[in-house]
Amino acid sequence: MTIDRRLFIAGLAASALTALPAFAQDTSLSGEITLAAYSGVFQDNYTKAVVEPFMKRFPNIRVNYYPAQSSAQMLGTLRAQKGSPQVDVALLDVSIARVATDEELFVPLEAANVPNLASLHDLATIEGVAGRGVTFDHLTLIYNTKAVSPAPTSWNDLWNPRFKGKFVMPGVPDIQGTALTVIANAMAGGGDPARGLDKGFARMVELAPLVQSWDPKPDAYTLVINGTADVGVGWNARSQFYKDQSKGLLDVVLPKEGSVFQINTINLVAGSKNKKAAEAFIDYALGPEAQKAFTETMFYAPTNKKAEIGKEALDRTAAGVMERMIRVDWIALAKLRDKLTEQWRRQVLPASR
Amino acid sequence: MTVATFSDAPAATRQRPVAPLAAAMLLPIAIVNAIGFLAPVANLFRMSFNEATGGGGLREAVTFANYLAFVMDPFYLELVTRSIGMSLAITLLTLVASYPIALFIHRAPAQWKSLLTIVTVSPLLVSAVVRTYGWMLILGDRGLVNGLLTSAGVIHEPLRLVNNTTGVVIGLVEILMPYMVLSLMAGFGRLDRTYEEAAQSLGAMPWTAFRRVVVPLTLPGIALGCLLCFVLAVSSFITPKLLGGGRVFLLATEIYDQAIVILNWPLAATMSIVILAIFGLALVAYTRVVRLLD
Repeated sequence: MTIDRRLFIAGLAASALTALPAFAQDTSLSGEITLAAYSGVFQDNYTKAVVEPFMKRFPNIRVNYYPAQSSAQMLGTLRAQKGSPQVDVALLDVSIARVATDEELFVPLEAANVPNLASLHDLATIEGVAGRGVTFDHLTLIYNTKAVSPAPTSWNDLWNPRFKGKFVMPGVPDIQGTALTVIANAMAGGGDPARGLDKGFARMVELAPLVQSWDPKPDAYTLVINGTADVGVGWNARSQFYKDQSKGLLDVVLPKEGSVFQINTINLVAGSKNKKAAEAFIDYALGPEAQKAFTETMFYAPTNKKAEIGKEALDRTAAGVMERMIRVDWIALAKLRDKLTEQWRRQVLPASR
Repeated sequence: MTVATFSDAPAATRQRPVAPLAAAMLLPIAIVNAIGFLAPVANLFRMSFNEATGGGGLREAVTFANYLAFVMDPFYLELVTRSIGMSLAITLLTLVASYPIALFIHRAPAQWKSLLTIVTVSPLLVSAVVRTYGWMLILGDRGLVNGLLTSAGVIHEPLRLVNNTTGVVIGLVEILMPYMVLSLMAGFGRLDRTYEEAAQSLGAMPWTAFRRVVVPLTLPGIALGCLLCFVLAVSSFITPKLLGGGRVFLLATEIYDQAIVILNWPLAATMSIVILAIFGLALVAYTRVVRLLD
């Protein structure tokens, strides 16, 4: 009797819960999937903002987070497991995703199984990449607020001799070096980056003598915070993280000329043993709710147009100024990589010795 | 005759069980080496014949294109000569810095010897990464050296001691010194104070005695230390990466860039095989020198 009543109440509560959209649960899918994505702060925030809410929505799916230091390391893992993939979903940089797609490590996403594809920004679909853009990040100018006043507002400020020996950034072949060269190229009227970056390289040669290090260790953010450098170049999401960490000692500028995006893509691994659950996860990660949550915790701009981002996060990402961004085809640039690296070594580095 | 049979018999009985035992004792390390070293190197060798399809792609093939690209590109040839040249210079500096220490410890009274050795070797207890970060702090623009020189009024602009070749040389010399000191001490066995005293009693000035007596006697140690430090310097990666500021290009850092950043695994594998060949040559040179010394 009492048992029956309890069951009845429980059933009532359960039906009441499922009726509320915020608590909507989907028990039709089950199993375990593995997500390969970046380690460190990214892992902490992505787990909180996306993975855990997903597991609440799909209580029968367990998501294992396989942390990797870099996209290249993920590619290595995927190549090694080609015969029997242990990873179902991979979140990595767009140019590496292209390589993996070429090597048939990923399979294309189908709109029927991943309905959120329909509401993505057009920049999120990249030719030759099986997955879709899941985060947009952009190159920023970072500076030490104690040492630098007034705040820089333009990329051109980097060429100011007052920062001689006080400027750090990762050089080519790191893509931050390529990204700044692309920006310099656009500012010098160099035209389509895919045809070469000669004008950008000419500007980098002028910048070279002012540079303290092309390989800041442990990274540019740390050196700017501890005063080893006054200005540097970084990615927005990390810069915003360090801005909060350093209580404003480091500040972040999106220069008036705009910037370029770095795109992380989310991909379905070929031969996934739990394709349905993997697709459900990708759909969730691309959906407005997850996009909003992750943007507001880590300041990556959302790739879903329907994500309604709060004012504070909007100001700290490029989401509000998409039209100011300089378009760059990373895939085309990846093909030029050997040439760009060579140009960098023969023109830019000798000028910085 | 009886003596011969007497001494032969036990030797034979002793040797027979020893051989399988030795083989059994070698087996674990042979297995570890086969799995941990030979198999990966074979894999690397195979990879060096694969084809890189640009932008990081990889295709199974048997092509000499990577070796050709390596040999034809002046940048890579310069990389090899620079890596070897810089490693030789670092080895020489390490030798000069370590020799007096090793000699001092060798001549120290027995009760001090082990303590001094421990002190010399103690930097090895801290990882090379940590020590390299230490050098970044000491040599940086606001580091100890520049701070002292600036406050003493010797310089007004900080000296560039890091993020360039100078920084890499200073860092590597310090990191390699314990290895050099240990190798030198191991080779100092034949050195006895009485030889020097004999030389001086025959009228040699201290410098002549050092040059004509001490140095020749310690050559085996010098050869061993130089081989070890050269090999460690050529293959060093962390220190040039951290102290080079993206300006110092060596084979090891280039392998990292090719493998991890540019994703050209075949070319990275090719360069690894080239480094291995350089090690082989260094080993051959060492054996020659040792044979000459004997």
